[in-house]
Amino acid sequence: MTVVARTWDRLTLPGKALFILIPLLGVLTLGLVITIALFGQQILDILIFNLPIVRFVFSVTILMLIFVPMAFVIIYMEMKIIALMNLRIGPDRVGPWGTLLSTVHGLKVLMKEDFTPGKADAVVFTWAPVVVFSTAVLSALVLPFAPGLYGQDMNIGLLYFFAVGGMTVVGLLMGGWSSFNKYSLIGGLRSAAQIVSYEIPLTLSVVGLVILAGTMSLNEIVIQQSRTGWFTDWFMFRQPLGFLIFAIAATAEANRTPFDLTEADSEIVAGFATEYSGMRFGFFFFAEYINVFIISAITVVLFMGGWNAPFPSPHISWIVDPGSLGLWLVILIAIVPVVGTLALAAPFYLFRSKTRWWVALILGFVLFNVIAGGIFSLWAYINFDWVAGLFWFVGKAFALVFLFVWMRGTLPRVRIDQLMGFAWKWLLPAALLNLFVTAAAVLVIDAMKAAPK
Amino acid sequence: MTTETAPRSGEPRPAPKGTHRSTDDPNVLLQDDYDFYEPIPPYTPRTEREAEFYTLGDGEMFLNMGPQHPSTHGVLRVVLKLDGERVVDIDPVLGYLHRGVEKLVENADYHQTISQVDPLEYISSLFCEWAPVTAYERLLDVEVPRRAEYIRVLSGELNRIASHALFLGWFALDLGGLTPILWSFIERDEIVEMLAALTGQRMLFNYFRIGGVNGDLNHEFMSRLGDWMSRAVGQIEAGMGLLNENEIFVRRAAGLGVIDTEMALRYCMTGPNLRATGVPFDLRRTHPYSIYPELEFDIPTRTEGDCLARYLLRMEEIKQSIRIIDQCLDKMPDGPIMAKLPRLIRPRPGRAWSGVEGPRGVYGAYAISDGTDQPFRLKIHDPSFIHLQAVGALLPGCLLADCMAVMASLDPIMGGVDK
Repeated sequence: MTVVARTWDRLTLPGKALFILIPLLGVLTLGLVITIALFGQQILDILIFNLPIVRFVFSVTILMLIFVPMAFVIIYMEMKIIALMNLRIGPDRVGPWGTLLSTVHGLKVLMKEDFTPGKADAVVFTWAPVVVFSTAVLSALVLPFAPGLYGQDMNIGLLYFFAVGGMTVVGLLMGGWSSFNKYSLIGGLRSAAQIVSYEIPLTLSVVGLVILAGTMSLNEIVIQQSRTGWFTDWFMFRQPLGFLIFAIAATAEANRTPFDLTEADSEIVAGFATEYSGMRFGFFFFAEYINVFIISAITVVLFMGGWNAPFPSPHISWIVDPGSLGLWLVILIAIVPVVGTLALAAPFYLFRSKTRWWVALILGFVLFNVIAGGIFSLWAYINFDWVAGLFWFVGKAFALVFLFVWMRGTLPRVRIDQLMGFAWKWLLPAALLNLFVTAAAVLVIDAMKAAPK
Repeated sequence: MTTETAPRSGEPRPAPKGTHRSTDDPNVLLQDDYDFYEPIPPYTPRTEREAEFYTLGDGEMFLNMGPQHPSTHGVLRVVLKLDGERVVDIDPVLGYLHRGVEKLVENADYHQTISQVDPLEYISSLFCEWAPVTAYERLLDVEVPRRAEYIRVLSGELNRIASHALFLGWFALDLGGLTPILWSFIERDEIVEMLAALTGQRMLFNYFRIGGVNGDLNHEFMSRLGDWMSRAVGQIEAGMGLLNENEIFVRRAAGLGVIDTEMALRYCMTGPNLRATGVPFDLRRTHPYSIYPELEFDIPTRTEGDCLARYLLRMEEIKQSIRIIDQCLDKMPDGPIMAKLPRLIRPRPGRAWSGVEGPRGVYGAYAISDGTDQPFRLKIHDPSFIHLQAVGALLPGCLLADCMAVMASLDPIMGGVDK
């Protein structure tokens, strides 16, 4: 045995990892530096030349990275809220108040066996969850989260959203067809029938809004809802019937109770997902909850003012220039955290005799961070438009997510013929009525404005 | 598919002819010509009806529902012949839970039979005990002490509420409601804890004895009962307000699975399923037994005969049961809880029938004694089995989504159906 091999054997596992990683990182860094030094200008030129593509790739990556944790949050929300509505406790084992349970579920589906039934169409079976997941992420590309914070600002944003969102049905049909299971087949066909039917009132209900706004760009639509700054500007109040139709049809689009026929467990086991397991099932599962968020988000964008606050905020400007602070900057950075932590730790140590000093210090540190984070958030909210916008947008969207969860806890499921009848007999005529009334009103008002006095 | 032990080292042996090794697990041998399209049933049809059912028409398909479907109640398997979503014909397959109780009973002495018949309808075990015990008492011609009769009625009515509460939740679950079942389980759990304090068991109580009951009322039972009685009606009504005023629920349940009086009588239905068609037949009034003639209560009936009527009728019955419990507690006499009987009983040869009005209908027991210490024959008449026959008439024409709801509204318990 050579010296090298003996030394290698003596290393611990982290040691081995570092032994490999550090040289590797060094080589990679060197390679990057050399590449930039040699071809930097050309690469920059290519990137700038293809900026839309770069932006697309970048924003899709970011959305994917954001949406999986967001699905975790929504899944946890649903578990906990429905548990409380059922007078149960719900998840409380993993992490504080069970908050890590959905993360653990995510890890679990990663580790489970990825089973394909015999005689299933393996290629279609594998691609179905990918289609569902990627359409969910792609349709979020046009959502304006905050002023200046969006993937793409298209002038046909709304059309793009419905077109890509409607692609979900292809994935569900693929999954249902390829599973080699009749329950899956029925689930897939149900979802096709349901989503195609509800797409029509869903799209028609926003045509009136588009007439009013005069644009299909989601950014423009949000900006148009902030004329006076009050919530009365929201399209919800100018298009109440459209809002109602949109909310109902959107619930059906997201396959949520009371329209969750595609995965009705008391009828067709788990619908199109019956034969799925492991991460392929995980993709369906995440996509479902991402869809819930996206449907809430598009409702907020179209009808509830998007990123606009419901009331005009006072114009406070509190920008601090770090250079002007002088010696206070040193005090702020070096002394305030230490003193703050000690000051917040002291009460725990002094007034509770059982608390050890280090426990008190940890508590003080956590408390200080919470307070400092609060102050920092307030500062960011006041100073940056996009922080305030994101706050209101996410807040409103999650209020709607809560509404979806609430409906799931309360309502039974409708029957397939009732579902179809409702779409074609009630929602579609109502959407058309809404469209005609809006169009007529716009014509009359325009004519009155144009008429010579 | 067979499994064999792989050799300890080296490559696995080549698979025998006609088989290949699974790619997932080389220890598993799969047959090459294994056909996934196995015909149902795997044998050639044995009767004309089977041949007719298992011939598919244009655009029809079979769907196996159960025995592992998440919402069949117990292990019922139903082969559905579907045309799209609409059920054309059904073929129920029973027997997955068959234990041969009636045969077991013939080889047990009279006291032991009580624990054998207990798990038949495991949701309402007390009634399964009540019918045979009364039949034996008629064979023996023994008089049960009045206090024992009151305790029987009291615990029986509690069990009826527990059973109905569970039904209400189940029915909602089959229509897609998530919350009602958990709310009604709270109700059931309180009663079950109460009965556990009285009988020592939560589910299979084994409480009634020939000539009385096993134990007297105790403090824990009484305190739990008093606590629960003070809020029972309000709690049940609040819970079910979630459904009764729900447009979706009412629209789905109304007019679904309609049974008219003539059909119900033809199928020998009893209990709430019969009373929902407008026939006020209740064994507690028509053939009074125990102390029921002394108690005041109404027999609620409805005339629609659909799922909603059956559901609402059970809610009414819960209220009547609470009335009966009130009166039992009010009139509870002092005295012994067991008649004086020898340890080993040998009734004289003869036969006796006894029926009690359970939560699902008439539980009957027909006992034949040959003079030994074991019953010669004990025939159990189970209402679930009778009611389940109606699915053959009710399901064709339904939508797939309504199958489970119709089945649930009849409230069959597979333990009792398969015996």
